[in-house]
Amino acid sequence: MKRPITAALAVIGYVIMIVPIIFVVATAFTAGSTLRFPPDGISLRWFDEALGYEPFIEAAISSLELAVLATALALLLGVPVTLAIHRGKLPGKGLVEGLFLSPLIVPELVVGLALFQQLMVGLGLDNFSTLLVGHTALMLPYAVRVTGASLALADPVLEEAARGLGASPLRAFFNVTLPVLRPGIFSAGLLSMVTSVNNVPLSLLLQGRDFRTLPVTMLDYVQQSYDPMVAAASTLILAATVVIAVIAERTVGFAKIFGGINQ
Amino acid sequence: MEPVPQPVPHKRTPLRKDADISRKSAFLLVPGLVLLVAGFLIPSAAMLFAPPDVPTSKIFARLGEMLTDSYDLEVIGRTVGLALAVTIICVVLGFPIAYWLARSPSRWSGVFLAVAIFPLMLSNVVRTFGWLVILGSKGALGQLLVQLGIVDVAPQLLYTKLAIVLGLTQLFLPLAIISCYSAVAQVDPGLDDASRGLGGSRIRTMWNIVIPLTMPGIVVAATLVFAGSVTAYTTPYLLGGSSQRMLSTQLFNYASTTVDWASASATALIMTVLVFLVSGLSSLIGRKGATS
Repeated sequence: MKRPITAALAVIGYVIMIVPIIFVVATAFTAGSTLRFPPDGISLRWFDEALGYEPFIEAAISSLELAVLATALALLLGVPVTLAIHRGKLPGKGLVEGLFLSPLIVPELVVGLALFQQLMVGLGLDNFSTLLVGHTALMLPYAVRVTGASLALADPVLEEAARGLGASPLRAFFNVTLPVLRPGIFSAGLLSMVTSVNNVPLSLLLQGRDFRTLPVTMLDYVQQSYDPMVAAASTLILAATVVIAVIAERTVGFAKIFGGINQ
Repeated sequence: MEPVPQPVPHKRTPLRKDADISRKSAFLLVPGLVLLVAGFLIPSAAMLFAPPDVPTSKIFARLGEMLTDSYDLEVIGRTVGLALAVTIICVVLGFPIAYWLARSPSRWSGVFLAVAIFPLMLSNVVRTFGWLVILGSKGALGQLLVQLGIVDVAPQLLYTKLAIVLGLTQLFLPLAIISCYSAVAQVDPGLDDASRGLGGSRIRTMWNIVIPLTMPGIVVAATLVFAGSVTAYTTPYLLGGSSQRMLSTQLFNYASTTVDWASASATALIMTVLVFLVSGLSSLIGRKGATS
């Protein structure tokens, strides 16, 4: 390589990003019962344990439920907002958009504490509803910004033409605007689902006895017992994430969705 | 003679239509706005300034105590210090990677870009867990150091500042790479070639051409990494433990273990102000860069 310094920095960077993930996978296949390295023999026993461990399975189902509902709700609330910002004649559009992006700036842990204190302790809301409100608020910026990006690319003349040709506003929306929005909605949906399922800081204080999310459950487990079961669970999550990445790559391009990079 | 067409009604109709559209689009905002205000803005403001049964003055009293108490100052100092270190490391490692990815048109650069972005989709718990395996008391790095004869007993690596810095760097390096990549990709490679062709060395081209032109992207990268590091919870919790408290783990402790609303609000205020300050500073730099 012609640039030795660049090459050295790049190697260090990739080692820090990737090597810990490789170690997680390697430990998951150990036959021993501690997180020691090198592992004591190879087995699949920890995958069996992880898949049979009730709290993890329940939490995984809860996390998926929450992610699907919060994403759907964020899109239902967010897409009209995008339409109002990009197609309506609103005074102070920039301000409105800024307001809807604001959940991205406030630290999630602070929002989590606010919802715990004000909605759960203050208003007596159950923890699932509070989680749903919090996750929806957090996903709203994605719904507004990502669908907005695909709406900005479309020519509003198309919708005006549909209206001019006698289509009702609803028909014009479903037949002209929605197809234009579809890639944006797909990207926003995928981004929100992944963000919601992985979230720790917002969900941390909103855990209940009946409804717990997966990453927080795993975090609690790691703190209590130091065995390779979490490595096996992590490897399964890694595999699922790879599948999602491949789907994202085949459809919209995952550098575009997750990195905001247009290639 | 043909009568002159009356322009008056035509002038009025679009106006009424405008007002109509404006009212309709305002209506589209309402459901989202309700959730945003009731589920985010009001609770956040109420938590920061008026928690249940706590007068606002007590929060500011607690804030004053924290900014003078040596233990609290240590936590704040550690948070800011580690976040700064992680920011510098992420920019120093992330920029060259981004430059290399954006400027080498091989098919491998696509694969390496994907490998750099993929961790963003992966759970932080999974990513951070890897460091427990590497840095733990029976972990790979300690064992390696012992086997190489560098040390007799595996050193304490977990629950140190080093562990937190490594964990946060792993977490935020992809963000730094992406921000720098977008910036580098926007700079015409012809400028690099021109500078080199005119006799500029590689290092001079980098310092005088590429880095000034990509500065806005670098500032965005630094802001994202700093704000992320100040607010991250999983990494300081798993890799720092109670011996290396940061603002986030401290906040959780006040909110959950001791249920001290005044201290929790004061800590949340410090954290929020830090993030707002850095975001504001960064957009100020960005605006200055755009006008000059």
